[in-house]
Amino acid sequence: MPETPTELRVRIGGEAGFGIKAAGQMLARSFVDAGLETFDLTEYPSLIRGGHNNYLLRVSTEPVYSHVEPVDVLICLNHETLEMHHMELVDGGAVIFDPADFPATEIPSRLRAVPVPLTDMARDAGGKIMRNTVALGALLGIVGFPLTFLGDSLRTQFAKKAPEIAENNVKAAQAGCDAAVAACPDFFVQLAPIEGAPKRILVDGNEALGMGALAAGLGFYAAYPMTPASSILHFMAAHEREYGVVVKHTEDEIAAMNMVVGAAFGGTRAMTASAGGGFALMVEAFGMAGVSETAVVVGVLTRPGPATGLPTWTEQSDLRYVIHASQGEFPRVVLAPGDREDAFELTWKAFNLADQLQTPVIILGDSYLSDNRQSTPAYDLSKVSVDRGKLVAEGSVPAEALSEDGRYLRYKLTDDGISIRALPGVKGANQLGNSYEHDEYGFGSAGEPAPVRISQNEKRMRKLDLARTLVPPPAFFGAPPEEADIGILFFGTTKGPAREAARMLEREGVKAALMQVVTVFPFPAEEVAGFLQTVPNTLLVEGNFTGQLEGLVRQECLLPVQYTLHRYDGRPFTPEQIVARVKEVL
Amino acid sequence: MPTAAELEQAMKPTWCPGCGNFGMYRALKEAIEELGLPAEELMMVWGIGCHGNGADFYNVQGFHGLHGRALPVATGLALTRPDLKVIVEMGDGDGYGIGGNHFIHSVRRNIDMTAIFHNNQIYGLTTGQASPTSEHFMKTPSTPGGVVEEPVNPVGVSVAQGATFVARAFAGDIPHLKEIYKRAIQHEGFAVVDVYQPCVTWNKINTFSWFRDRVYKIEELPDYDPTDRTKAFDLSMSTFHELTCAPDECKIPIGVFFEEQGSFTYQDGLPQLDRPMWKHAEKPRDISATIAAFGG
Repeated sequence: MPETPTELRVRIGGEAGFGIKAAGQMLARSFVDAGLETFDLTEYPSLIRGGHNNYLLRVSTEPVYSHVEPVDVLICLNHETLEMHHMELVDGGAVIFDPADFPATEIPSRLRAVPVPLTDMARDAGGKIMRNTVALGALLGIVGFPLTFLGDSLRTQFAKKAPEIAENNVKAAQAGCDAAVAACPDFFVQLAPIEGAPKRILVDGNEALGMGALAAGLGFYAAYPMTPASSILHFMAAHEREYGVVVKHTEDEIAAMNMVVGAAFGGTRAMTASAGGGFALMVEAFGMAGVSETAVVVGVLTRPGPATGLPTWTEQSDLRYVIHASQGEFPRVVLAPGDREDAFELTWKAFNLADQLQTPVIILGDSYLSDNRQSTPAYDLSKVSVDRGKLVAEGSVPAEALSEDGRYLRYKLTDDGISIRALPGVKGANQLGNSYEHDEYGFGSAGEPAPVRISQNEKRMRKLDLARTLVPPPAFFGAPPEEADIGILFFGTTKGPAREAARMLEREGVKAALMQVVTVFPFPAEEVAGFLQTVPNTLLVEGNFTGQLEGLVRQECLLPVQYTLHRYDGRPFTPEQIVARVKEVL
Repeated sequence: MPTAAELEQAMKPTWCPGCGNFGMYRALKEAIEELGLPAEELMMVWGIGCHGNGADFYNVQGFHGLHGRALPVATGLALTRPDLKVIVEMGDGDGYGIGGNHFIHSVRRNIDMTAIFHNNQIYGLTTGQASPTSEHFMKTPSTPGGVVEEPVNPVGVSVAQGATFVARAFAGDIPHLKEIYKRAIQHEGFAVVDVYQPCVTWNKINTFSWFRDRVYKIEELPDYDPTDRTKAFDLSMSTFHELTCAPDECKIPIGVFFEEQGSFTYQDGLPQLDRPMWKHAEKPRDISATIAAFGG
């Protein structure tokens, strides 16, 4: 039996506008710098001030894939946090609070009260604003973790401000630490830095996706803000001068998608991203990318819908929508990253697929991916490759792309469906990229005869056969399917909770084999059918009401799925929830 | 550098005989020839409508986009391909109606490109419904009781929104139109050219002869200063009149309403746009500094 890892689960709660996420991320950064692994979960309402915000951080000596339900330490920056979250604490769990906010008598006796005068100490150190820092110091104090890493994080965080700001924060943290140690010198979780741990980066899904796009040679990013995709726009804008990317905040998502098509038609690696609502506005131009055979990448980071829905929460209910979006039929690829390693890798690969197939590629994520940071092995740039497919960017149009009378055929009929793509600017590359059906040259009026329509439609759809040979295959985790007691099937960010669930089940002697459908379209029917026929029982876990992945399995594999687990309350799955469902069905 | 004849495809235009699009087609081909634009540097984008059928008639590097969305496609090209001269063609319903949002924002961005609006004050391709520039009280199949809205004032909106080149022309005066095209294409910044282009099939009011009786050239006005934005706006308002007005009661100015030279274009604000942006994807980009900033 492997040694049980040391783990700490801490929740920080308070009012929106208190800087809870920033404080939490600084804490996470301190642990990762010290060689530990982290996963965080931020919950916040759709407003800027007031309302309840909270940040959950899981720290471990081993890799962590998701959040979990129990909490060891609750940091209450207001009274409401205690009321809302005390029941999550394990017996003996600590409550760090300011006695000026509420009396210790309100804390249930099964818990450990750790009073720290947050406001007074912050004020003494230089300002009330440092309340969060006092609380972080208190937390590190009770778990016996050196303050030096937090000090370094604070100095990095405030590097651009007056030097005394960082030092005052360090003082505040020290005060909180001392008070908490005095109140709770024997807490049951103790953490220490790990010497020589492998290099980890701390990124959320949007940062991972942004880095994947930059590594792929992105030249144009256009978007309209929409939660949870907005931070990709910020990330790109922050790096546009450094890397030579044109970043455009557009008047709407319609413009963003059309601009991306224009940029991509000019040969630039171009991308947009939004939530499902913004993607709705993009759909007509998304289809235009399909019929005009333009290589674009679209991020769809979903949240609970329909319409405005729950803006800051998560759901996996746009799977069918992105697979089918647009009138008419054309080939597309939909990739669903499960974590921040996937998000980087699938994004740079998406650009290659778009170029190789000359068709749109979607990265399907969700708020759970976008908003939350996970310690992740540092990205290895030597693994990134650029494949632009049949692209001619300079010189003259090659002979094989010409008609008998020497004209460039942008949409020439080929066996694999891919035509040579000579960019505007190439000698002889007069052409017509077209949203109309068209002939081999691109003429819309010549696209109306039935034989032309049939041949161009079939040419495009042939690209799906090529796509099947290029797209990332499903990924497997946990027990080998042949030895498993149960198979768990999922897509996207359910990967994290499912992997954690498999670990928990293993400790209880249950072998779970996991299959992540990475490319959700074209659907890997053969692999999924093989999995379903190998494992004794299958549990399909997806974050929607109607069973969208289940429907795809039935449609593509002609096989039933024995058991399902759905969630559609705006919250991500927890591993405990999956474990409970497995126990129920076995 | 293509001649006007070389800019024609073998396919002959399918517009209705007498359509105003023919004059625009000829004037633009001649303007391009006279400016001596190399084929590899010329990029045209069309929206959807009768004007957009022209996409098949030009022998150029082109993209035929969606209804109302030609401007953002052209913007994507203009902001990533500094080596291309981008000319966009749109209709009145296409550019001022469904694409109205892009029109306003493209004007205020001052992107260096040329936007030509085929304004026939009617929806031609969808058989004669009212357009955003149909005149007040005009009766059409979609407005049998007459159009209730005021028409869009494309020149006035452009001038008010900070456009750096705003012109109106008439498809019945090809030499004048050609000269306006040449100035618009040479203008550094966003050039708006609204062209009255009578629809001989569906618009029985605003006909060629109706326009001939009313248009006059701005350059013939004594003391008109096309660098005065306020005067340009005032002049744009003079176009609007009662549907049944007599020729001498409603004169329509054509020519350059406003021009600001040496303005700051959107591209001027993009120092990173120093080459075609596809050149960034010749090999993987080294982003190790960014990875390091996240702890790697």
